[in-house]
Amino acid sequence: MSGSDSRGSTLELEGIVKSYRRGKERTLVLNDVSLTVRAGEFVSLIGPSGSGKSTLFRMIGGVEKPDQGRVLIDGEDRTGHKGLISYMPQQAALFPWLKVEDNIRFALVSTGTPKREAKEQAAQWLERIQLGHVAKEYPHVLSGGMQQRISFLRALLMRRSVMCLDEPFAALDALTRADMQRWLLELWEADRRSVLFVTHSIEEALVLSDRIYVLSPAPATVLRELVVPFERPRRADVWTSSAFVELKQEVLRLLEAGKVGAN
Amino acid sequence: MLRWRGCCKSIRMGNKRLRAIALPVGTIIFFLAVWQAACMAFAIEEYTLPAPSDIAVKMYEDSAVLWTHVQATFGLALVGLALGTAVGIAVAVLLHLVPPFKTALSPMLVLSQNVPLIALGPLLIIWFGFGTTPKLILLVLVCFFPVALSILVGLGQAEPHLREYLGMIGASRWERFKRLEFPASLTYLFSGLRIAATYVVSSAIVAEWLGAGANTGIGFYLKLKFSGFQQAAVFGSIVCIVVMSLLFFYMVVLAERLVIRWRPRPEPEWKEATS
Repeated sequence: MSGSDSRGSTLELEGIVKSYRRGKERTLVLNDVSLTVRAGEFVSLIGPSGSGKSTLFRMIGGVEKPDQGRVLIDGEDRTGHKGLISYMPQQAALFPWLKVEDNIRFALVSTGTPKREAKEQAAQWLERIQLGHVAKEYPHVLSGGMQQRISFLRALLMRRSVMCLDEPFAALDALTRADMQRWLLELWEADRRSVLFVTHSIEEALVLSDRIYVLSPAPATVLRELVVPFERPRRADVWTSSAFVELKQEVLRLLEAGKVGAN
Repeated sequence: MLRWRGCCKSIRMGNKRLRAIALPVGTIIFFLAVWQAACMAFAIEEYTLPAPSDIAVKMYEDSAVLWTHVQATFGLALVGLALGTAVGIAVAVLLHLVPPFKTALSPMLVLSQNVPLIALGPLLIIWFGFGTTPKLILLVLVCFFPVALSILVGLGQAEPHLREYLGMIGASRWERFKRLEFPASLTYLFSGLRIAATYVVSSAIVAEWLGAGANTGIGFYLKLKFSGFQQAAVFGSIVCIVVMSLLFFYMVVLAERLVIRWRPRPEPEWKEATS
């Protein structure tokens, strides 16, 4: 329905290692990170800030190459290949000189959607998420929440079968954030693309995902993989259940233990 | 109470606005009055310092001639500014997209501005004759530099998170330029253009002054009247030059408003001052 091929692709990271040179020292940022996002699965990466989550994203996006390890999409080695994912950054990253609809249109065209289709899709979907009235506005007049909605829509409509969302709601206030999570779930559950979602909020990860990878502080490695058992479509009050609270405590314990382990 | 305050506020705002226009106009009138009075009181000869009234009368008498010269200079300056801007943009884009060029040509760019116009003008006339070509070359040389320099700065200033976004979705180099770097540099382009517009009229005058043989333009008129000791006419041409320069400057300001619509307009200062 969004013009992409059905349920998305499988994304696999195999033993990703990356270090940066700072002066004479080499700092290890990612230490043997392996994870999988299956087709149509919503997977969250959770870890303390500065644990190299964004660096991992840059490897997936092909902007940087890992020192070791591979990035596989649908089983094929795509390490260092650009233009295979759609992406939603923490800041909305809307282009200030383009009107809302043009922001979406240009991103779709540059990722392979034919011009006319991009235009139709942008108009149609803006209407659908009740933002049709701002289609001809410049981004600076919109609230932070609205900007993020448009940024998400832009990522959703791209003809890419893996979506990477990098802490998309981190800059929003708690109320808007809860609102956005519900909104995103609704859109995503109708479409079921493969999603890799980075966050540092445990609740957010639990509310949204099918599985969660918990990362250690830098140099990052996967501490644990958790399956989130709640049914789909997910209920809005899922966070009140006791299973939710238990899972939350478990993740918290893991993160705490990781911190101690690193020190 | 509230209404009273609101009403008081609007009066103050009105005053402030009025003052913004009235003060500079008043200052000019005062300046002209002192000038006029001084000329009359000390009986200064017209060939030393003409009184404002002498200048006004002379301009009125010469208005037909003056108008054709003003048109010639205005046209020359306009074409010069347009060409200079085009060359400036082209140079900046080239240097930006091909970094080795930037390293190689940056000193040349500065050098081009260090050659004095009065030295270059006669040389250009020897090479290109007495037509418009040498004048235009001179103007392009004056105008392209501030434009090129400011765009070059602007092209490098594009927001990092937008750059990162384009990288992550796999946009090409050309798309990065077209969608990000160039639009981001437009505000810089206009600040360069303001400088170019300020200089273009006086540079056109210099070009006309040097371009003996060609007998149009305020620069030619100025030279003619200067050698004839007709100081009132000399001052008249200064008035024309100043007015044209202002016109050019505000044309650029207007163009900037028309082109750059995505930024929130800055609040008028009186709003800030009274709140």
